Amino acid sequence: MQPARRPRAGTGSSGEAAAAQAKRRQGMLLASPGALYLLIFFVVPLALISVYSFATRTSTGRTSLSGWNVESYEAIGDDIILGIIGRSAWLATLTTALCLAVGYPFAYYLATRPRHVRAILLVLVMIPFWTNGLVRVFAIRFLLGSNGPASALSESLGFGTFRILFTPTAVTIGMVYSFLTLMVLPLYVALERMDWSLTEAARDLYAGGSKAFWKVTLPLTKSGIVAGSVLVFVPSFGSYVVPDILGGAKTLLIGSYIARQFRDARNWPLGAALSVLLIAAMLIAVALNQRSGSGAEGGDRRRARRRGRAADEAEPVTAAV
Amino acid sequence: MTEPVAAVEIDGVTKRFDDVVAVDNVDLAIDDGEFFALLGPSGCGKTTTLRMIAGLDLPTTGSLRIFGEEVGMAPPDRRPVNTVFQAYALFPHMTVRQNIEFGLRMRRVKDPELSQRVAEAIAMVRLAGMEERRPDQLSGGQQQRVALARALVNQPKVLLLDEPLGALDLKLRQEMQQELKALQRTVGITFVFVTHDQEEALAMSERIGVMSEGRLLQVGTPREIYERPASRFVADFIGRTNLLEATVDSSGAVRLSSGARIEAETSVPAGSEVAVSLRPERTRLQPRGTASADGHSLDGEVRDITYLGHAVVYEVAVGSMSVEVRSEGEVGQPFAAGDAVTVSWDRGAATVVAD
Repeated sequence: MQPARRPRAGTGSSGEAAAAQAKRRQGMLLASPGALYLLIFFVVPLALISVYSFATRTSTGRTSLSGWNVESYEAIGDDIILGIIGRSAWLATLTTALCLAVGYPFAYYLATRPRHVRAILLVLVMIPFWTNGLVRVFAIRFLLGSNGPASALSESLGFGTFRILFTPTAVTIGMVYSFLTLMVLPLYVALERMDWSLTEAARDLYAGGSKAFWKVTLPLTKSGIVAGSVLVFVPSFGSYVVPDILGGAKTLLIGSYIARQFRDARNWPLGAALSVLLIAAMLIAVALNQRSGSGAEGGDRRRARRRGRAADEAEPVTAAV
Repeated sequence: MTEPVAAVEIDGVTKRFDDVVAVDNVDLAIDDGEFFALLGPSGCGKTTTLRMIAGLDLPTTGSLRIFGEEVGMAPPDRRPVNTVFQAYALFPHMTVRQNIEFGLRMRRVKDPELSQRVAEAIAMVRLAGMEERRPDQLSGGQQQRVALARALVNQPKVLLLDEPLGALDLKLRQEMQQELKALQRTVGITFVFVTHDQEEALAMSERIGVMSEGRLLQVGTPREIYERPASRFVADFIGRTNLLEATVDSSGAVRLSSGARIEAETSVPAGSEVAVSLRPERTRLQPRGTASADGHSLDGEVRDITYLGHAVVYEVAVGSMSVEVRSEGEVGQPFAAGDAVTVSWDRGAATVVAD
């Protein structure tokens, strides 16, 4: 019986390999339309931008591909541009922090409602997200404008006209509003998955309400905080529409500055170089997020494996007890 | 001489969730140093009762005292009790040591007392060498011991356990039953544990409170609960039993609906509708005519036989009723289906349940 079994096991495993290969081929087939699309509309333009960043701007504002150089990258070292980058980074950080401060309590509230209420509230959260971004930003512009309701309220309360539009404050308000959903959703997911018996255990072990939150709830929703922060920070760093509409000329940010290079200033190589820099910075941010995220998951998996082993090893121990 | 103070005293406690009454006017006193079980089917209010002692739920009405101190409305962090949660609720982002230290750190216990107490707790539950592991690297039994250590290290006046053995497999569960009993004797504090497993409750506790639909039906020692159930529900829920519908007779005996008269002690007034609880393992089978008709037997006919190895279960038709007889240590095959038999039992084995 034993020798007869072996060849069968062999054919079985080669059959498995063939099945796996077929599955791989099928997977590739399914992915190919998307892959083709990304290749044409994402990879190719990205390559073009990279090429342009090493090109030369002629005196007439045209781009010459003859004579490769890194002048555009050197130009980034200019104080004005560094200032713009710094301001953009600061505004993105501020936006992220404010989104977190506003979004966390909100997501907490959402996640702790009864299930049927949660579904309704989630739709309400999603509605602005599904609304055209431009419309939303213009709505904010109207709201904050000197003829808008905020100003009218301020005047009626005797604080005088409300002059906030075209200031960094207006840009920050607009950015927080635009990106808040991106913070709330991952936080909601993390909080919804939260095992509340853990906070109960903390309360049972003499932690007050806020202690239980800082020691248990917050660390256990870290994945949501990291994901939400990356989702908000990355687009707000390169944001172009919001600062353009709400910030005016005074709040020049990197996104608007790049747009200007391609349009008014006709300096495509500089615009391209800045774009490459921005993309590189974001890739690094996303990679760091991935590593911390998948790092944790990998850890979980490793631990799960070890747990399996630990459980096996533990059997004799517990049996001995 | 002052009356000894009860460890936990529950006085007319009711808990309502919206319009659902989870716990209905419960009165209960649990003694100092007692191993007490709250037993009942799921949804009977036992867990809510435990959570109210812990402070995780607050009573709608009624008062709750722990060693004489009113704590009914106190938050969980202000009560001298600790809980072993159903799925243990170990903090997954902390090591075993950090889990066990948590309560002491919250109460600002400092080294060297901190490390000494943690080391003692770890030794007590035999987890030495596991201190730096995380909960998901431990087996179910080990996790349970971390949960025990995490609670006991705080030296609570009462330890609450919510289905502490529910997540373990059968073999481990039986070992842990013994271990928990031994642990309770060692630390000497009151243990209150919730279970839906009647065997577990009988095996582990000094007294049991049986709950159903929010009410506390009966409180007693395992023997009292098993042998003198106060209601149909308790008789039926604890172990297997035959519940025979009957009416109390004027002579203090009962008359079954089939007309047969059997002797059973009862304080219920004559004419009351009752049930007689007859445990299958307290009954015997004899060929018809060999037992004396003394009020401790019923005539019937074997209808079905189930062979279980260590026991044989007979289903005996007695009039329109069916009586289960459980026979252990039987040699050969004394009865077959269709045999005319007499089901008999010792005086006192038949219990009248009025409700």
